[in-house]
Amino acid sequence: MAELFQLLITGIAVGMVYALIALGFVVVWKSSSVANLALGQLVLFSSWFTYGMLVQAKFPLWLAFPLVIIFALALGWLIERFALRPLIAQPILSLITVTLGIAYFIEGIVTFIWPWSVDALPRLFPIEPLHIGDAVVSQEYVWVACISLLVFGLLTAFFRYHKMGIAMRATADDQMAVQACGIPVTRIFSMSWMFACLVAAIGGVLISSIGGITHGLVETGLKAFSVVILGGLNSFAGAIIAGPIIGLAENLGGGYLTPFLWAGVKDIIPFVIIIIVMLIKPYGLFGEVRIERI
Amino acid sequence: MSLPSGTRNYTYAQDMAILRTRTHWVLFFGFLVLLFTAPLYLGNYWLGVANLIGITLIAATGLNILTGYCGQLSIGHAGFIAVGAYTSAILTNRLELPFLVGLICAGLTAGFIGLIFGIPSVRVKGFYLAITTIAAQFIIIWVINHWSALTGGFVGIKVPYASIGSFVFKSEASQFYLIITITALCIFFAKNLARTKVGRAFIAVRDNDLAAQVMGINLFYYKLLAFFIGCFMAGIAGSLLAHWIGFMNAEQFSLTESILYIGMIIIGGLGTTLGPILGVVFIRLLQQILTVEFVPFLERTITALPSGFATGVTPMLFGLVIVLFLVLEPRGLAHRWALLKSAYRLWPFSY
Repeated sequence: MAELFQLLITGIAVGMVYALIALGFVVVWKSSSVANLALGQLVLFSSWFTYGMLVQAKFPLWLAFPLVIIFALALGWLIERFALRPLIAQPILSLITVTLGIAYFIEGIVTFIWPWSVDALPRLFPIEPLHIGDAVVSQEYVWVACISLLVFGLLTAFFRYHKMGIAMRATADDQMAVQACGIPVTRIFSMSWMFACLVAAIGGVLISSIGGITHGLVETGLKAFSVVILGGLNSFAGAIIAGPIIGLAENLGGGYLTPFLWAGVKDIIPFVIIIIVMLIKPYGLFGEVRIERI
Repeated sequence: MSLPSGTRNYTYAQDMAILRTRTHWVLFFGFLVLLFTAPLYLGNYWLGVANLIGITLIAATGLNILTGYCGQLSIGHAGFIAVGAYTSAILTNRLELPFLVGLICAGLTAGFIGLIFGIPSVRVKGFYLAITTIAAQFIIIWVINHWSALTGGFVGIKVPYASIGSFVFKSEASQFYLIITITALCIFFAKNLARTKVGRAFIAVRDNDLAAQVMGINLFYYKLLAFFIGCFMAGIAGSLLAHWIGFMNAEQFSLTESILYIGMIIIGGLGTTLGPILGVVFIRLLQQILTVEFVPFLERTITALPSGFATGVTPMLFGLVIVLFLVLEPRGLAHRWALLKSAYRLWPFSY
């Protein structure tokens, strides 16, 4: 029972971070129909940058975090401006492979600057375990879940009430109409990329403050795809609901299946879920089924 | 098809011929002679590079049939190559079957695994398919790493040299002949496949699969056929790779390798036979020159380089090359070559 409770808390917390990263994907997909396969590398890069700020440059927290946010926004702007903007209206194959090229490039930069490839961020949250009944839960996971919830709340408010958020939703709905209303669509595209990098950075910092920075962060980013696939490509609510589901499946499966299968079964569960969803319900739980016309 | 002025086709056979003029034939045989006498004038080092290029070329040709002709994006190609490599390694090492059996079985196994992961392609495309193939890559590598009773797991598995009858392909030169012959056969097959009914069906599916279906093309059959052929070639390449290196470890088949394969056919030019050749030669030579000549040279001359320079600069440059090609020349080197040829034909009257 205690073990179950522990796995539940961890699963939900990790799943919320996946959902956060997945939101960045959904925003870019909705506004510009670009599939961003560089998510994992964005997570890796911004975690290492945080490491550089906090550990190598020894900046205090209040200075380091704004710098990380500025860095993430700048990264998003650069990617959109120099790689994606020249490719507007190109076939989807080019749009997917260009993000793969970006992924490769970022991975090169990361090995270039931080060649030792494994390190730990300083602990951001208190580590004393919480005792709930007879279960022992690491306090960090509770903090991560709370911060993710807070970020979800802020994002929802942004998309609902802020002028730019409303413009982004409108672009997702109908690009032509938005352009006719005088909203600069290209600026919306670059906003959505900046947004994607920002949530990838937040998700990366949250995950790596617990598990350290490893190359596995790329897989964390890729696991966010299973959230996107399960929730539906163009659904915010889908991502937020599917995130904890994936996290739970991963942790419960890892906890209870390992004795029967090989060790490390945890890492493969999200990918198996992708295949299963593809075979049964390819557009996900809340995704919009596109009807194609010739 | 534009022909040089004065060259006309009088029969259908002439019209269908791959090599049309006498100059074509002379150049073709000249090239073949040059290729098959390569061990005479190339050292062991460059023969090794040529072997790697040949093996990569087989896999890239398969990927080109799948992605370039049929339009089904696969980002798990290294995974399918791994299936072929491990099938061959297990059959020849553990069961001590002859090399040719291993080679054929490697192709078939990779093809069938490709079919399984290709089934979603019937309902989805584009990004969904890309994600499915990434998942395939991770699942395949995970199984290889953990099914250690069969595959040797993280430790890896030793592979004997390739052999036909009592002849063992031990030296670099003999392996070169084996690899280059199979490569040439694969390219010849790919070139002709594109001109048959199947190839035309693939192109129709790529351009608009719905329209193709309306015209009576069986999507299920042709998409899965493309997956089978593409992954079959990946399996063949994997088998040759295993026997060439002599030792297999799942680290050789990472996701970045898959991305590199996509990069190669993009740089070369999708949906042409020439494209993969140009792309593979370009990328593999760039890789060799960077890692063997250029980076050590820089490290010798500039001592203040950061320690990650050697490992970081290659992926950085490859990523940059892929992005730049997509932005500046999305139709690849093959298109440049075609432009050059037509300019040469019309020269000096370039209108």
